[in-house]
Amino acid sequence: MSLTEYIQTRWDLLSQAAMNHVLVVALSVGIATVIGVGVGVLTYNRPRLSGIAIGASSGFLTIPSFALLGLFIPILGLGWTSTVVALVGYSMLPIVRNTVVGLRGVDAAMVEAGRGIGMSAAGVMLRIQLPLAWPVILTGIRVSTQMIIGIAAIAAYVAGPGLGNQIFDGLARLGSVNALNAALAGTLGVVVLALLFDLFYLVIRHLTTSRGLRV
Amino acid sequence: MSDDNADDHADSSGTTGERIELVGLTKRYPGQAEPAVENVDLDVAAGELVVFVGPSGCGKTTTMKMINRLIEPTSGSIRIDGRDVLAMQPDQLRRHIGYVIQQIGLFPHMTIAQNIGIVPNLLKWPKKKVAERVDHLLHLVGLDPTVHARRYPRQLSGGQQQRIGVARALAADPPVMLMDEPFGATDPITRLRLQDEFLRLQRELRKTIIFVTHDFEEAIKLGDRIAVLRERSHIAQYDTPANILARPADEYVASFVGGDATLKRLALHTVGEIDGEPGAPADLPGVAPTATLREALDVMVARGSDRISVDGTVVTFAQLSAAVRAADAVDRQQTTAGH
Ligand SMILES: Nc1ncnc2c1ncn2[C@@H]1O[C@H](COP(=O)(O)OP(=O)(O)O)[C@@H](O)[C@H]1O
Ligand SMILES: [Mg+2]
Repeated sequence: MSLTEYIQTRWDLLSQAAMNHVLVVALSVGIATVIGVGVGVLTYNRPRLSGIAIGASSGFLTIPSFALLGLFIPILGLGWTSTVVALVGYSMLPIVRNTVVGLRGVDAAMVEAGRGIGMSAAGVMLRIQLPLAWPVILTGIRVSTQMIIGIAAIAAYVAGPGLGNQIFDGLARLGSVNALNAALAGTLGVVVLALLFDLFYLVIRHLTTSRGLRV
Repeated sequence: MSDDNADDHADSSGTTGERIELVGLTKRYPGQAEPAVENVDLDVAAGELVVFVGPSGCGKTTTMKMINRLIEPTSGSIRIDGRDVLAMQPDQLRRHIGYVIQQIGLFPHMTIAQNIGIVPNLLKWPKKKVAERVDHLLHLVGLDPTVHARRYPRQLSGGQQQRIGVARALAADPPVMLMDEPFGATDPITRLRLQDEFLRLQRELRKTIIFVTHDFEEAIKLGDRIAVLRERSHIAQYDTPANILARPADEYVASFVGGDATLKRLALHTVGEIDGEPGAPADLPGVAPTATLREALDVMVARGSDRISVDGTVVTFAQLSAAVRAADAVDRQQTTAGH
């Protein structure tokens, strides 16, 4: 059976796996964005703290994903929870770092003008600093997404969702019927998802960046 | 500082200035041996424009920012219209004090209308009233709302941006304005024009304004009174521009006035004060009636003309020098009387 035939006959299964892959990546990046931007906001103007936060999240990245997922099995069990926790961890560095860099890059005069006309510190953060740092932060979110689309495939090892199951399944049976097709279809799916996510971020960037910053 | 009773903000008969009193105001930054501002006493009358002038680092900005509590004083007190500023909630306080900085600080991701509307929105004005106020302020600073309201700051020239900065500071019709070298970053020609417009505006609005500059000429032109500051914001002299030019209190102030006091005095008077002959030819170099004698002289010398057009009337060099001598004589008389 050719790869095309394989994909046609298993379309339901493959699209279901792809959908789960998208879901687990989106969920993880969403959680990581909330935490990572929060950490960035709280630490960007305290160099020691932001150093610790960036150090910790880059330390996390050096843990091999197999080892990490294996460690999670006894604590968090098999499936979605372990997968999401691991992916959130791997997403942190680009988001935290870009939030810190983005916020530090906002002209101090913006903050001074905001406070000077009577906006609260939180108001200045929400309405001035974050919108101005947003293009940089969004780039961090995009990088995180690209990173964990690949890592998410490995989550099949802890019975996590997604296209990884195709790949692992195929690789485990290499030599037998359709094994190569399964591995290839899974891999191709991951690549296509990565491209689609990038396209999505282009649109998001266009929609969420003020025209005033583009002129 | 009165609580906003919402009704007549959109017309020009707005809130006029309130008195500002600084008593024993001191700021010591952590880890510094000398205070940046030491024991400053100053009384600014309602509706006056007071210029702080002094060399860089003498504490002008620190003194000014204590008034809206962007910097908390180490000791001393501040009253606006008799009320203790240090007892107020800082954000509430700042919504009633206009604030303009050299870097302008317009928010690039917001339209001009949004920038100007920030404080009225913080004060929860109804939408319609905010929109009317924005239109009114744009007219006031000489910009066309239909053209500029929906633009973004980066689409405007430096001079236009600074006008918007002033409009934003005026948005909620505050009685008090603080301006820190507001025209410092603009080119000389734009700067003169902004000064002229600003003077015209202030004659109408009568806010109490503290205006920081290191440019003594600007201080003379704009100030009802000038506070000449030395290190640690010590006030070397606090008086009208004419009196400071005629009677500098000490060597330090005299060094600001310089050897060309007569020339500087030209900035105290406007060509509008001279009665010209009607019927100026169209090709004569012209200045606005609000131009100072000094600016008029500048144009005459630059254009090699001994006549100048002011609002369609002809003013001659002879008239100009007569006006200078007359003004000089008055100042000298005061000087003699004062000694
Ligand atoms: N945030 C700060 N921390 C420590 N020192 C400061 C700070 N701001 C200003 N200073 C010091 O206080 C003095 C007065 O500064 P400033 O008020 O900015 O003067 P000016 O506006 O007249 O140039 C200077 O010596 C300056 O270095
Ligand atoms: Mg300063």
